[in-house]
Amino acid sequence: MTSVRRPSTLVAGLALGSVLMTACGTGGDAASDSSDGKLSGSITFQTWNLKNEKFTPYFKDLIAAFEKDHPGTKIKWVDQPAEGYQDKLSADAAAGSLPDVVDMGPEAAYTLAQAGVLLDIGKADPKAESQYLDKAWQAMTFDGLGGGTYGYPWYLNTGPSFFNKALLTKCGLDPEKLPTTYDQLFDQAETMAKSCSDTTMIARMPAIETFGEYGVPLMDAGGKKFTYNGAKGVEFVERFRELYAKKGFSEEQLNNLQTKEVEEFKAGRLAYLPGSSYTLNDLKETAPDVYKNLAIGPRINNSAPNMYIESLVVNATSKRQALATAFAKYVTGSANQLVFAKKASVFPSSAGSLDDAYFTEDDGDPATVVRVEGAAQVKKAVVWWPPAFSGSADSETLREQIAQALLGKKSAQQALDDSVTYSNERLDANG
Amino acid sequence: MTLSADRGVSLRRGGARPPRRSEAGLATHRWFVTPWLFLLPALTVIVLMVIVPFVNTLGLAFTDSTLLREGEFVGLDNFRRMFDDERFTTALLNSTLYTVCVVPCMMILPLILAALVSGAGRLAGFFRTTMYLPVVMSSVVVGLIWTNMLDKRGLVNELFGTLHMVAEPVPFLSDRWLLLFSAMFVTVWTGLGYYMVIYLAALANIDRSLYDAAAVDGAGVVRTFLNVTVPGVRSTMALISVLSSVAAFRVFGEVYVLTGGTGGIGGGDLTMTMLIQREGTGLQARTGYAGAISLFMFVILGGLLLAQLAMQRKQRTP
Repeated sequence: MTSVRRPSTLVAGLALGSVLMTACGTGGDAASDSSDGKLSGSITFQTWNLKNEKFTPYFKDLIAAFEKDHPGTKIKWVDQPAEGYQDKLSADAAAGSLPDVVDMGPEAAYTLAQAGVLLDIGKADPKAESQYLDKAWQAMTFDGLGGGTYGYPWYLNTGPSFFNKALLTKCGLDPEKLPTTYDQLFDQAETMAKSCSDTTMIARMPAIETFGEYGVPLMDAGGKKFTYNGAKGVEFVERFRELYAKKGFSEEQLNNLQTKEVEEFKAGRLAYLPGSSYTLNDLKETAPDVYKNLAIGPRINNSAPNMYIESLVVNATSKRQALATAFAKYVTGSANQLVFAKKASVFPSSAGSLDDAYFTEDDGDPATVVRVEGAAQVKKAVVWWPPAFSGSADSETLREQIAQALLGKKSAQQALDDSVTYSNERLDANG
Repeated sequence: MTLSADRGVSLRRGGARPPRRSEAGLATHRWFVTPWLFLLPALTVIVLMVIVPFVNTLGLAFTDSTLLREGEFVGLDNFRRMFDDERFTTALLNSTLYTVCVVPCMMILPLILAALVSGAGRLAGFFRTTMYLPVVMSSVVVGLIWTNMLDKRGLVNELFGTLHMVAEPVPFLSDRWLLLFSAMFVTVWTGLGYYMVIYLAALANIDRSLYDAAAVDGAGVVRTFLNVTVPGVRSTMALISVLSSVAAFRVFGEVYVLTGGTGGIGGGDLTMTMLIQREGTGLQARTGYAGAISLFMFVILGGLLLAQLAMQRKQRTP
């Protein structure tokens, strides 16, 4: 094969985009961090959907405090809508204008780290590891990339299962016996399908993290190949296929995304909703009738409950790497994480923060119960989403293949094989 | 530029002294440079936004490049993979079917509408405005309106249910083919007004005496339409067939919104542009593969246009 010049991969449109988005650029002046170890200069800090009434004061105070502690530094905070954030990151990364510190999940960080765009925190700041929960640090450590750690863990999110008691009762189920495993969930979903034709227990195809919760091995030990097409994965899809055959959910629901699932739960047509820490408030405000009939149980799993992680990554090409690293570490430090977690109804990933009374003392209020149980769940939870399962194309393909298996167009094994082949090809192509 | 050139000619004709070499040079210079200056803004945009990306795509199509990784030349590998990719087959079938169904509707329905509302009355004006309204709406807004209308619990199914026309809701948005035909309907509904306006302009150019002659000959409404109106707008029909073919084969918005951005259940409603978008965007974008699909699509569309042009030329030849 003949090597060709690096494609101006991002075509002219992106070149234009990069011009328009200079505000998100590597910011700062040309001078490097001072040699005496004192931080100086300016950097750009990118977040998504966090510039609003609720969070703006927090970030402004946070930045002001940092700049006060480090005279001569300037943090430029840029916030953009979260929709299509991977596309925005793509444009920035390809144009070489990734901000110095960026808020992102491990799946985006993996691809950028694969391309050498992100700083290996494990090497650059090895002492940082002790400041975070081990599982959070591990979630940002990518085995498939030689074990480098490519982001400071920021906040975690997990949540309980929500049930509509009225629907459970109406459809012959006991709201006092909520399912806790997938086997129980499928059994109850079948009972519901027999008794009620207009409501269902499940309204969405399993996503990759759901496979993990069922106990399916998702990747090989080296983190190089996907393996969810093994016997356990096929068994999981077969359970969905059986439920679909028994009218446990409709054809329309094969296409549902999470937003639609939440909509159906709020409309009182769905009995079970895997929630996050802020679902309760959302239900209270937007679906008061459903809220009145709410039963809350632990997150359903056969192995360990799932949680999500958000991190702050540092641009490896930042001209102010020391400042960027210091700022990312500062934002994700225990004290700041705790304040942010309380404000955002999420959980801190910093070591010891979960021992704060806010996460341990139950005052009987439903919101506190959810928070305290959620914090306890974090200790057992696993970030099941493999970082290498990057982007929406992998998720879309998995959902489509499962739908084809359920519609009888191919076997469960074939569907998972096709999905795994697709994801492995994409992973190799970026390797 | 024209003025300068004409003045030169008239001076020579008038027998006045011939222009000096420097004047002639200046005129030639103006004749050559001025038009390019007028063209420069448009040319810049075209070169930057069309030519450069096209050439880039052409190159990418033969590499295995991804968004963030340097590619290597892989010959026809991307094209081989394309034909092994079940999503590509589905997308090609859907886009082709879309074109086959939508183009005849776009050629005929707006003409009938234009013929009906071409009068000068207030009512005709009202209908012209009403029918043009969907054109000014974005395809996403149109898609959302129709998503709500065609949903299992939407207005259309409620209406069918109330009138006892169906026992079960019609799965407009979940059945693969019904969804595709619903999207075609939305495309036609949206495009009617636009093509109607083009036809209205063409109708205004038809010689009224032809209609008078047809009336004298005793031709009815249908006969007049077929024998006077249709031949009178034949070249416009050809133009519309070209425009609507390209638009239909490149359909994205309507299907994307009606499927909730998913490509339908099991990806059964993916179209070519949706597949390109899926492969060519995101951090793991396979730009080489997406480039190959784009190139294939370009060849198909180019072939379609050439075939249409050839047919028109054949029709014009006595």
